[in-house]
Amino acid sequence: MKIKSPKDFWAGLMFIGFGLFFLVVAGNYQMGSAVRMGPAYFPTVLGGIMAVLGAIVLFQSLTIQGGPMPQFSFKPIFFISLALILFGYLLKPIGFVLALVVLVFVSAFGGHEFRAKEVAILAVVLIVFSVLAFVKGLTLPFPLWPDFMS
Amino acid sequence: MDMSIFSNLALGFGVALTPINLMYCLIGVLLGTLIGVLPGIGPVATIAMLLPVTFSLSPITALIMLAGIYYGAQYGGSTSAILVNLPGESSSVVTCLDGYQMARQGRAGVALATAAIGSFFAGCVSTLIVAMFAPPLAEVALKFGPSEYFSLMVLGLVAAVVLAHGSVVKAVAMVILGLLLGLVGTDVNSGVLRFAFGISELADGIGFVTVAMGVFGIAEIITNLEMKDEREVFTNKVTNMFPTREDWKRMWKPILRGTFLGSALGILPGGGALLASFGAYTLEKKVSKYGHEFGKGAIEGVAAPEAANNAGAQTSFIPLLTLGIPSNAVMALMIGAMMIQGIAPGPQVMTEKPELFWGMIASMWVGNLMLVILNLPMIGLWIKLLTVPYRILFPSILVFMAIGVYSLSNNPFDVLLMMLFGLLGYVFVKLECEPAPLLLGFILGPLMEENLRRAMLLSRGDPIVFFTKPISAGFLIASIALLIILLLPNIRKKREEAFVEA
Amino acid sequence: MKIIFVLLALLTGAGAAFAQAWPAKPVRLICPYPGGPVDISSRVIAQKLQEALGQPVIVETRPGAGGVIAADYVAKSAPDGYTLLMGAIATHAINPALMASLPYDPMRDFRHIALVVQVPNVLIVNNDLPARNVAELVALAKARPGKLDFGSGSTGSTGHLAGELFKQMTGTYMVHIPYKASAPAVLDLLAGRLQLMFDNLASSLPNIKAGKVRALAVTTANRTSFLPEMPTLDESGLKGFNMTTWWGVMAPAKTPPEVVTRLSNEIVRALDAPDTKERLRSMGSETPAIRTPEAFTTFIESEKALYAKLVRISGAKPD
Repeated sequence: MKIKSPKDFWAGLMFIGFGLFFLVVAGNYQMGSAVRMGPAYFPTVLGGIMAVLGAIVLFQSLTIQGGPMPQFSFKPIFFISLALILFGYLLKPIGFVLALVVLVFVSAFGGHEFRAKEVAILAVVLIVFSVLAFVKGLTLPFPLWPDFMS
Repeated sequence: MDMSIFSNLALGFGVALTPINLMYCLIGVLLGTLIGVLPGIGPVATIAMLLPVTFSLSPITALIMLAGIYYGAQYGGSTSAILVNLPGESSSVVTCLDGYQMARQGRAGVALATAAIGSFFAGCVSTLIVAMFAPPLAEVALKFGPSEYFSLMVLGLVAAVVLAHGSVVKAVAMVILGLLLGLVGTDVNSGVLRFAFGISELADGIGFVTVAMGVFGIAEIITNLEMKDEREVFTNKVTNMFPTREDWKRMWKPILRGTFLGSALGILPGGGALLASFGAYTLEKKVSKYGHEFGKGAIEGVAAPEAANNAGAQTSFIPLLTLGIPSNAVMALMIGAMMIQGIAPGPQVMTEKPELFWGMIASMWVGNLMLVILNLPMIGLWIKLLTVPYRILFPSILVFMAIGVYSLSNNPFDVLLMMLFGLLGYVFVKLECEPAPLLLGFILGPLMEENLRRAMLLSRGDPIVFFTKPISAGFLIASIALLIILLLPNIRKKREEAFVEA
Repeated sequence: MKIIFVLLALLTGAGAAFAQAWPAKPVRLICPYPGGPVDISSRVIAQKLQEALGQPVIVETRPGAGGVIAADYVAKSAPDGYTLLMGAIATHAINPALMASLPYDPMRDFRHIALVVQVPNVLIVNNDLPARNVAELVALAKARPGKLDFGSGSTGSTGHLAGELFKQMTGTYMVHIPYKASAPAVLDLLAGRLQLMFDNLASSLPNIKAGKVRALAVTTANRTSFLPEMPTLDESGLKGFNMTTWWGVMAPAKTPPEVVTRLSNEIVRALDAPDTKERLRSMGSETPAIRTPEAFTTFIESEKALYAKLVRISGAKPD
């Protein structure tokens, strides 16, 4: 057996995985009846359909020719994810201004080229704008600086 | 229709055109545009924050400003959708599909102008509809119960498949994945927490903005960053800024159709307006002779949903003003704003406070005019933004996304969730699974389940109600017809292939 | 000896100075329900407090899990008077009974400072229903067991629990139809798909006044000034029926007593101010009779007991 369309093969597997996941987890809830449908009713039915559709996509990938599996590039994935997580979880402890510095610098590492001076200027511009627009203008409840400094 | 409409509108414009109301209308639409452009910061949060400011204003002035924020945000939302593939709210998801493609082809100006013109036209027509037919249309809203909504959602889901331009099976699977993701959270009927795994942040479900910004915005940034050269993201060759004769010829019919579809759906408070832009896009893709260009930068794919969206936003004031029933979170907040001003929204507003009712309607038209006048000159500025090198642009986009998502509930969890959906969206891109059907499923899933279960409860378990109620039956028949139309090309293609081989 | 007195005086003086120093920075009022009446009234109160305290009072919405996220956040915040909660009937009386586990204790983890809003519910029926008063409704429900439907804004809401209490007290059987919010339920009531519901007085008042729905009784112990001619359920034969929807300002348990007193006084003063009174009245709230932190705590205690009972008889608690 040969995989003719790797993209569809993996897509099929993904759908089967999601379908089974919802199907299995829904097993923890009550099914109910057609009149009084329980919380498990909808997810069980949908999870089942999803798994079947995944199987169809998987089967098609063995019969219909498709494009090759593309490369995943991990550098942007890593830096973008890291930048967002750091921003989210550092905002309250270190304040809005420093969290933005972290977000801009870490995400910029994920780009094509990293020019420190340019990124520093960008960070300053974005911080000034964001503080004025979001904290001063829209009064979002963000602390500007770490607790010990204010 | 009686002639009193003209005296009523005259009364309304008399109110809307006073200098103070004009000024607050302008403030409202400006602010609305700003928060619309900034992803995640929605009109609900903004209106809530501004509420204390409005205490010192007269009721009508306050409402004119708050309404301006609402429809200004609708305008602004399409700007970020077109420029950087960021849907800030449900209605701009479909604008991303063709609008962003147009931007990448150097036609961002045309796309923005089309969106503005479509919205303005739709705003004018639907304002007139609200003015002329509000009370009878409110009766239509009453005709829609759980079974009607369920069947409408079914039709919407079948239509969702049309959104995709690739494999039908994969599109259906994405719709279902969206439905399932939409079920995460507290079950309306039993109060059971589903798929939350002890995470209390998931108890109210996953936010639409979080998912949409993840699978569209974040995934797009990662995909762009993996290109060899950053100049590939946006073409430098910017063509004309405003629509050409050819563009006008192609857009006017979609705008007209979108306006009417959107106006009709906007009347339904139980999720009609959500379907407006999706529905209009689907309809265009099926009736347009440029159907094959959809998803690759077809101007119809921007014109129709933008018109529908704005029309729906205006007509959703009908259930609010005549029945006191809000169609969405913004409208619910508007009710609060009205109440605190001593006005109880409901059937009496029109008769007891005609200057308020008609003043607000007139101000909607004025506000729409302001928006188009403000937005058209802005286009040049926006296009300039795209000439900024991508290495500068993408951290800036990330900053606005992160702030916006964080502000949704002042909780870092939403930022984390957006990032996870970004990764999922990137996988979707790689596997050629299109995210638009997923998002429509995500919106419709909970509504569909809720209404199905409610209809079954009310009918004591008799599924025949879906067919005996004429409106519901009509939608189901339409769904079946659409399904057949969808499947036909595949069948025909298969037969043609068979002939070729033979 | 003198020195010690001086020192003591300085120390106590310093202590007083510390208390007077509050608030030295912006105070945050955490609101669990964005966009609704709780949010709106939070902002009304915040504005007044800001004027009185001379420091910004910022409303910060932290939605999620029926208010649990916000309540838990405040319960675990520093008890310094800078983080307050707009706690509500759901976070402090219903959730403890409804939810399998709560990360906070509604009594022990909080100082209950001031009740801000208290809104009655009203029993409304569809205009076509041949019931002009509560007795006729009970007779109708008995004649058609299981045929009447009542809607509510969610499972475990006051609208739902009021309906269940009504069923239990009258020995009738009606079907509960849950919605995501009360507005869509009202729509179905107007259209005749539902026969009755227990709705928030403020939101149903315009429809009652316009004659689009018929009100039969209010759920409070005493008649409300909004509808003085409307009987209470208690008068209509359901002895002891008394339910309101309420919310008020709370703080973490160990908040300094001076701060609690100051806040309580300022809030009560704000509630008595004519403009605030008018605004909260337009949201269906009469100025609460509960005016001290202690009375508020006692009130929550009794509400908690009431809803523990109601949730049990309703079977609303998911298993």
